[in-house]
Amino acid sequence: MTLDEIRDKILHIADQTIKYARDLNIPAAEAYIYNLSNTNLTDNKGKIDSRDGLTQGIGLRVAIGKQVGFASCTGFEKETIKSTLKHAHSIAKVSPENPMFNGFVAGTNVAKEGILDPEILQLDPDSMIETCNLMSQEIDLSDRRIVSISYGVNFSFGGYAVATTEGCLASSLITTYAANSFSVVTEADDRKTASDFVQGREIKSVEGISSNGLKKALNSLGSKAFGGSEGLPTVWEPRESATFLAFSFFNCVSGSSYVEKSNPWGDKLDQQVAVKELTLIDDGQHPESDSGRAIDAEGSPKQTTNIIDDGILKTFLFNKMFGEAADKATTGNASRGGFFGGIPYENVPNVGINKLLIKEVGKNLDQQIGEIDKGILITGTPIGLFTANQVTGDFSITTNDAFLIEKGEVVHPLKNISIAGNYFETLNDMRTIGSDREESGWPIDAPAITYNKHTISD
Amino acid sequence: MENGNIQDLLHKAVEKGENLGVNFIEARYDDLNLTTVNYTNEIIKQSSSLSRKGIGIMAYYQGTPGYSYTPELTLEGVKEATIRAAKLAKSTDSRNKIKLDFDSIPAIKEKIEVKVKKHPKDYEFADKLDMLKRGVTAVKEQLEVTTTIGLYGEIYGEKYLVNSEGTELYWVPLMVDIRMGGVVISEGKQSQSFTGWGASKGLEFFEEKETTPEITGTNAGTYCKEQLEAVAAPSGKTKTLVSPQMGGVVVHESFGHLSEADFVVTGQSPIADRVGEELGSEHVTIIDEGVSPYGGLYLPYDDQGIKTGRTVLLEKGILKGYLHNRGTAKKMNSELTGNSRAINFMFNPIVRMKNTYFEKGDLTFEEAVEHVNTGVYAVDMSGGQVGLDGNFMFNCSRGYLIENGEVTKPIKNTALSGNILELLKYVEGGTKEVTIKTGYFGGCGKGGQGGLPVGFGGPDMIMDKVLVGGAQ
Repeated sequence: MTLDEIRDKILHIADQTIKYARDLNIPAAEAYIYNLSNTNLTDNKGKIDSRDGLTQGIGLRVAIGKQVGFASCTGFEKETIKSTLKHAHSIAKVSPENPMFNGFVAGTNVAKEGILDPEILQLDPDSMIETCNLMSQEIDLSDRRIVSISYGVNFSFGGYAVATTEGCLASSLITTYAANSFSVVTEADDRKTASDFVQGREIKSVEGISSNGLKKALNSLGSKAFGGSEGLPTVWEPRESATFLAFSFFNCVSGSSYVEKSNPWGDKLDQQVAVKELTLIDDGQHPESDSGRAIDAEGSPKQTTNIIDDGILKTFLFNKMFGEAADKATTGNASRGGFFGGIPYENVPNVGINKLLIKEVGKNLDQQIGEIDKGILITGTPIGLFTANQVTGDFSITTNDAFLIEKGEVVHPLKNISIAGNYFETLNDMRTIGSDREESGWPIDAPAITYNKHTISD
Repeated sequence: MENGNIQDLLHKAVEKGENLGVNFIEARYDDLNLTTVNYTNEIIKQSSSLSRKGIGIMAYYQGTPGYSYTPELTLEGVKEATIRAAKLAKSTDSRNKIKLDFDSIPAIKEKIEVKVKKHPKDYEFADKLDMLKRGVTAVKEQLEVTTTIGLYGEIYGEKYLVNSEGTELYWVPLMVDIRMGGVVISEGKQSQSFTGWGASKGLEFFEEKETTPEITGTNAGTYCKEQLEAVAAPSGKTKTLVSPQMGGVVVHESFGHLSEADFVVTGQSPIADRVGEELGSEHVTIIDEGVSPYGGLYLPYDDQGIKTGRTVLLEKGILKGYLHNRGTAKKMNSELTGNSRAINFMFNPIVRMKNTYFEKGDLTFEEAVEHVNTGVYAVDMSGGQVGLDGNFMFNCSRGYLIENGEVTKPIKNTALSGNILELLKYVEGGTKEVTIKTGYFGGCGKGGQGGLPVGFGGPDMIMDKVLVGGAQ
């Protein structure tokens, strides 16, 4: 099946589903059709696991005025779709009114589609093995410090379509490709890990992935204890910089938590929330990102939204319902399934992130390190980011991937340290925002960033 | 689709796979129904009723697995999935260096049905919503909140397994759960709470003394109120009494995952090849169990059709073994433990935990608090993370100071961290009462399979040298 045939298929099923809804005298309905073929292969130190399959199903919202019901089913079988419609209708009948709900997306309005790579449809298990072979050929396993190297390859293709009784009938197609390596090394009582990856919407070269990851892990061996507790500047490599900021931003830019009054930036619109050098956008039209799609998960066109300009909070991100509840328009940020995944058709639309991008400003990582008299370089994703208090902003995280910086030089790796601070305070205490933004693998990309002070202890 | 037709399809898949030259086929069918209600600020933010139905085929070729799944419950759909699974197994065999073949075992033919008083399928959506309303009312009776949160979740359905040995298994998973929470953001004060549990039971679970919606709501309100007046936790390495739920999460996340044999056979686990070593103090015994006398998750069989048993991972500090699927058990010459599990038909079974807990000690709660004398009583957690090296960090969302041998003031949210392999050496005792918690919400994540229901718990455990982050 070609991508065009997939598009035709999902649009047809979406359209048919709305016709079934009309046949059942359902007053208002929305059909979300999802069809994705995916294949994964992992090689954990020679232990191979592989999986493929078709993730296929329909999420159905039915509304009676402001009473809304939702049900979903796997597959596209006609009688199953009809019975799921009836089930959603029966839930709507007994649900209390949702005062925020104001109908489904009306009409068809699409934005630009991101890159699609038809070559991904031609990949098969043999090509995945070949990719693993390429990655592993870069590694000399005679180094006795290597405990294990793991490899992973994943590709998928398909798409989703949205149809509503209000006249929306639109779709977006998906092609994705990812490969990664993960190294575990040890020396004496020191045990370090590191990874590297490529991912995108088209087939990528895997050259350097495994050797870079291994080199990073080996360079972290020979770590020494930090010894004590001290307030110091911290310098974060681009990918770690992105993950560090992810958890505060994801809640703080959300229009749903704003409407629900649980957003700590709820009263900060048009106020300074970060240093004036910080500009943050959400890019739903990034052609190379998985988020660069024609429509969001409820049929609105995706767009690019300026969230923070020169440190000032300009807007939150909305889907249709939460936007209207805040007297704003949708920003094309309806998503299904949440940040941690989940099967899209099994979820109602909520507000999600497309791709947060921190605007590049000044110095690269090496230049930032060169300006530190004494500080810490963070080179791996810390543990505990999930535990940050989303309301107060307090965080205390640990990492086994850090180096001591003295007099502008990286001196030696550190044993496990904790890094503590407050997200809201630290956003106003950034010393340098870098010039070297990288793809992080998360829905946020950032350059290297230096903060004036975090509490470091071991 | 009729049950007989499903079994026929699964048998056809096994037959097809064997004709394709693979050594072993497992064919699984799931028909699961999941209901979730998110009742935020007394509005249904999300209510969903999900039907998750499909077939997954696992093919083994010379010890190399390949898995494929399909939502198409037709002979054509199932045959296609079987062909793909066989192709994956055969194509990847050349690179597979860790062959996990296994010995044949006698076929099992069993049908397990769980009898409950109030099966959720027999009750209306409005009945479930009413429980949330009652819980929210109880939250609001405790304090004036900015946001109220009520969650209801249920999962039930049926599962079939047929394999090349002639095994035919049928069983019915069941889980219900209610969570309540509150958020206060007012005049510079911020507080939040979230509490509640689930059970492998019917709705009668919410009529039990400790788990009514009213009690859960009252607890959520009380904890939220306490947080408004909470004091900073002490900072640094602190003697800590950890509750069953807190200790259970620590043992699951930081030790349990290290003991999963798929992680051990590759040498990636830091406890690989260390059976017989002393990894903890004499007060530490860690169990993983499918059906436990302490409650928790009810899991009589795993997704390879292996009866779940009681596995002793650590006994009085000594490492006794690991958690296995059929392949890793054979590879490591171990007993079958029944730990091969999949979240649904879209995933292959991998080594996962069941109910993982610290075994009981011999102290009363009062004796344990007195033993700590000065420290922290860590009760609830919200989120956490662990590393492959045993490092962990959990957010203690509810805790108290222990001063002069008594539990005193509530403490602010704080991080608890350490390395499990070091921490187990500093366990100084446990109480006599073991509790195992489970639930529909949360669950365990591994290999892209998030939200798998598990149980975790223990008694209240005394641990020294826990790194308490303290308030910032």
